[in-house]
Amino acid sequence: MRRPSSPRPADVVLWALGVAIVVGVSVGAFATLSAGLLSGDQWRDLLIFGISQGSVYALIALGYTLVYGVLFMINFAHGDVFMFGGMTAFFVADYFSDSGFLNGNPILAVPLLLLVGALSSMVVAVVLERVAYRPLRRAPRLVPLITAIGASLFISNSVRGLYGDSIKAYPRIDFFQGTWDIFGIPILKAHATVIVAAVALMAVLYWFVERTRTGRAMRAVSEDKDTAALMGIDVDRIIVTTFAIGGLLAGAAGVLYAIVYNQVIWSMGFLPGIKAFTAAVLGGIGNIFGAMLGGVVLGILESVAPFLLLSGLGVPSPNQLKDVIAFSVLVLVLIFRPYGLFGRKEGT
Amino acid sequence: MTTDAPAETMTPNEVGGRLLLVARAVTKSFEGLVANRDIDFEIPRHSIVSIIGPNGAGKTTFFNQLSGVYHPTSGTIELEGIDISHMPTHEVARLGVARTYQNIRLFQNMTVLANVMVGRHVRMHGQWYGAIARMAGIKREEAEAERRAFELLELVGLARSTSRELARNLPYGDQRRLEVARALASDPKLLLLDEPTAGMNPGETKQMTDFIARLQRDLQLTILLIEHDMKVVMGVSERITVLDYGEKIAEGTPAEIRANPRVIEAYLGKHATA
Amino acid sequence: MPTGSDLRRAASSGLMTGGIMIYLVAVGIAPALAERQVITDYLTLGRLMLALPALAVGYLVAGRVGSPIARSASALAAGVVAGGLFSAALLASVALSPGIRSVLVRLSTGVLDFVGFAGIGLDATGGALLNFGLAAGLAVLGGLIRVAPVAARRVIVGGAGAMLVVAIVEPFLRPRLLQWGFVEFDDWLYVAHGMTPFSGATVFVVGAILAGGWPLARRTARTSIANADPGARSVLRWAGFLVALAVLYTVPWLSGSFLTQVIVLVGFYVLLGLGLNIVVGYAGLLDLGYVAFYAVGAYFTALITSPTSALGWGLNFWVALPIVVALSAIVGLLIGAPVLRLRGDYLAIVTLGFGEIARVLLGSEALKPWLGGPTGILSVPFMVGDGKYTLPLIGEQSGAAATYFPLLGFCVLAAFVAHRLKYSRTGRAWNAMREDEDVAQATGISTVNYKLLAFAMGAAVGSVGGAVFATHLQGVVPGGFVLQVSITVLAVVVLGGMGSIPGVVVGAFALIGTPELLREFAEYKLLVYGAVLVAVMILRPEGLVPDAARKAELEESRIDDGPQHGPEFDVISGDA
Repeated sequence: MRRPSSPRPADVVLWALGVAIVVGVSVGAFATLSAGLLSGDQWRDLLIFGISQGSVYALIALGYTLVYGVLFMINFAHGDVFMFGGMTAFFVADYFSDSGFLNGNPILAVPLLLLVGALSSMVVAVVLERVAYRPLRRAPRLVPLITAIGASLFISNSVRGLYGDSIKAYPRIDFFQGTWDIFGIPILKAHATVIVAAVALMAVLYWFVERTRTGRAMRAVSEDKDTAALMGIDVDRIIVTTFAIGGLLAGAAGVLYAIVYNQVIWSMGFLPGIKAFTAAVLGGIGNIFGAMLGGVVLGILESVAPFLLLSGLGVPSPNQLKDVIAFSVLVLVLIFRPYGLFGRKEGT
Repeated sequence: MTTDAPAETMTPNEVGGRLLLVARAVTKSFEGLVANRDIDFEIPRHSIVSIIGPNGAGKTTFFNQLSGVYHPTSGTIELEGIDISHMPTHEVARLGVARTYQNIRLFQNMTVLANVMVGRHVRMHGQWYGAIARMAGIKREEAEAERRAFELLELVGLARSTSRELARNLPYGDQRRLEVARALASDPKLLLLDEPTAGMNPGETKQMTDFIARLQRDLQLTILLIEHDMKVVMGVSERITVLDYGEKIAEGTPAEIRANPRVIEAYLGKHATA
Repeated sequence: MPTGSDLRRAASSGLMTGGIMIYLVAVGIAPALAERQVITDYLTLGRLMLALPALAVGYLVAGRVGSPIARSASALAAGVVAGGLFSAALLASVALSPGIRSVLVRLSTGVLDFVGFAGIGLDATGGALLNFGLAAGLAVLGGLIRVAPVAARRVIVGGAGAMLVVAIVEPFLRPRLLQWGFVEFDDWLYVAHGMTPFSGATVFVVGAILAGGWPLARRTARTSIANADPGARSVLRWAGFLVALAVLYTVPWLSGSFLTQVIVLVGFYVLLGLGLNIVVGYAGLLDLGYVAFYAVGAYFTALITSPTSALGWGLNFWVALPIVVALSAIVGLLIGAPVLRLRGDYLAIVTLGFGEIARVLLGSEALKPWLGGPTGILSVPFMVGDGKYTLPLIGEQSGAAATYFPLLGFCVLAAFVAHRLKYSRTGRAWNAMREDEDVAQATGISTVNYKLLAFAMGAAVGSVGGAVFATHLQGVVPGGFVLQVSITVLAVVVLGGMGSIPGVVVGAFALIGTPELLREFAEYKLLVYGAVLVAVMILRPEGLVPDAARKAELEESRIDDGPQHGPEFDVISGDA
């Protein structure tokens, strides 16, 4: 730790930036709330939407964090793995819908869709690791990152070529229409389902990582790859497993996303991918619980902040800037606290 | 050379004085692990001093603090009266501290000549605008630096013909020499050598030992050595400091250290002195 | 006879190849290219595209070891598997048609007909069989090429390459030929957008001869240059320089309006690439938001020079330029300062974040009063007067040609600056930083300052590109400053070779020029960029035109699987 005798210009700028942001946020929030721009019900709805959105982000973020934990690389193509699951499940959903299975038996059909999405994403993730990342294990860090960017372009544009440019509208699932009354609060069925499913999946993952042999091996590999190998752990197999699990979660997330937004498109991997990565960093990359929490927090922030902060500051069309909020969180976290909420400072 | 006179009779802030470097009560801890505890250390100008100790004693940690890579958790380090305790690494280098590394850390994919020229970075002034315009001063400076680089290559015993080789293609012994050349290129006041004879056979070790002595003599350098090879340490050092478990346990001339029971115990265990 | 493991390897390669062929059809690349004739009515570019994987697998699988018979047998095996898979897929697609079209949108009846050779009257089964046979045969051919002596390989590739080139340049060559009066030659060479069988064969032979004679010619040239006295050599160098200058000067005149536009587009990417090269190639900082500097340059220029902008100063471009560059360098410093401590991949993502924030802000309602929102800023004046000027020998230049000359000048300037920097104290410091940041610090290099310098220089160069772009389009709209631009520039630098100046030019022509020449391909541009990035990183991370040090640096990143890498692929130069 260094205590410089006089502050460097960069640090002054940073400090000023931090102050400006805190001030801006406070003023904006205060202005919005005191002006009563939105009703309590509206805030509540935004909050719930944010949680369900955030649950999807959390599932994707887990993939990033798991892979980073074992390989110390950012799998830039993970967002497109997410997209692939949602896209593949679309065709199955269409088929189910035509045959009446989807609406006749949603309790069976929807989990099947989740399974299809999860499995197809898993395949892509595993192939990706084998073809693009494994040959580059010993390369300087920039190389796998550039490869990941290329892979992301390739996957998304291949899907575009194969399945076409257009938005694919998911068939209407009657089961998800309308709201449920939970503790007197009306929650859209779609949102509630997404939250429940995501929580269930995260619980399964947590159990897997903490309680099973493979999970233990994964944790060992992420601590110290070489020692783990010396202990007899097949590092390659663990890495593949990690990618597979990340893929499963991302694919399920893809289907859940489609349930909320009712559509998929070849380009839908990019933004959620970046946002999920932001969530992973926010929670502390490499930290599973952090990824889960980070996802939900980001989802809520993204949903609530445009109205909370920007309306108050008189910024027109705050919703346009929804993405800016997410990117700003990313940039700010990386600048001020790169190890996130639950991460450790690297290498001191 | 000299004995350890008590610190109070010295004047630590004497620039141009007898002592080149003075470290006081230097402690370095990493998240609870104390790697160096309360170490006092002085390097007299133009001397060769060594730090020895069993593995894990904290020698490299201390070394890193002297070269500005780490910063002491508490205590001070002064180079010619200037407090370098919290100075950024590159500024410490600019003040005249140069070092080599235990596992050779050359710029592997740069040429031999380029490695040495980078070593000279702090003594050159060329900026980006000068480079673009290739102003006369820059051309002169580059030519001069190149000349000096070739001189240094010759000094360390590398053939002129190797200058265009990539550093990683050199044999091990030559790589070590190159590292020294790179360190010398900055005209340092203090040269820190981290296990310079690691991996060398007796013949090469003798060469390196003679070379270190020559550096002190011909270039008026002050040299600090970390070493495991006792022959080297005893042969070339004027004063030896012994660390164990992060603390200084002995200091003195080679003869004094050889006979010091605490030192023997640290290396060989309690029963060796019995 | 080939061994069991050889056959298994051949089979798995064949499976992969079959998959690739199916992919090429399903994604739509082969059908799109089927519109382009190579030999009219006989061979289209699409068919060639489908033939390539089979040829390639035969070539690769034939390997180096074993008797020619065994090697050809392996190739055949691979071809059989590939062909079998592909034909099966074809039959399945026909059987499932038209339903399959709702999933794989490219598999229209027209496309299936094309694949199944319906044009020559074959039904589905016949087409499948023909495809099978072709794949097997082409694989064997590829194997034979591998088995053949190096000289023969060179000759064949030369001939094929020549045919390909002549086919691809057809849309541009024909107007030129007619313009210059070579009407009969044009009639002989081309008919209905493709070559005739006869002209095609002639081109092949010519190409083969040229390729065959190339090594001899190169060697003779080299030895005569080496043996020439210094005086003659410097005369030669000057002569070469003048020739290059003459060529560059007459490019717009020679190329016609469309090609000039393409070259101008390539030029923009060369300029951007040179800037990013400093950031990524010299200093080793992966910047995924480089488009932000491009945008900064363009928008500042628009604001300062356009009379209808929010500022409305309406200054002359050349007066505005230094201001724009200075402002952009400052922006580069501001962006760089907080993020340069971050490690490589994090830095990449942060810069990506900045780039995206910039993109959204540029088009936003919130900043519309200054930046013009989605419609941007208009009425940006030309660089020179009203966009038309006259030059000696080549007459009046307007439109893209008017942009060409200043842009060329800027590219040369940027290349000059980059070259000077590379071989200076600054360049060495960047190199050292990239190699080992800690040791570089200990050698006295302030890594923070040098990283900032790289960022600022990259910003400056990028902003010049943006400034010229604004005048070229006479306005700026936010839609032109998207992430794809950053990634494209990165691909250009990576393909050419990170840190290599000629590499940037090569990369730009390859990645920007080709989709313009093959318009049918343009839809798949990004897909190809992605594939190129992955392929380059895995196969040749030092890029196409590297310098020796960079090649050494990245060589170790490839896992050595044995004889698959290295000189095997060097078909043309024959250094096997």
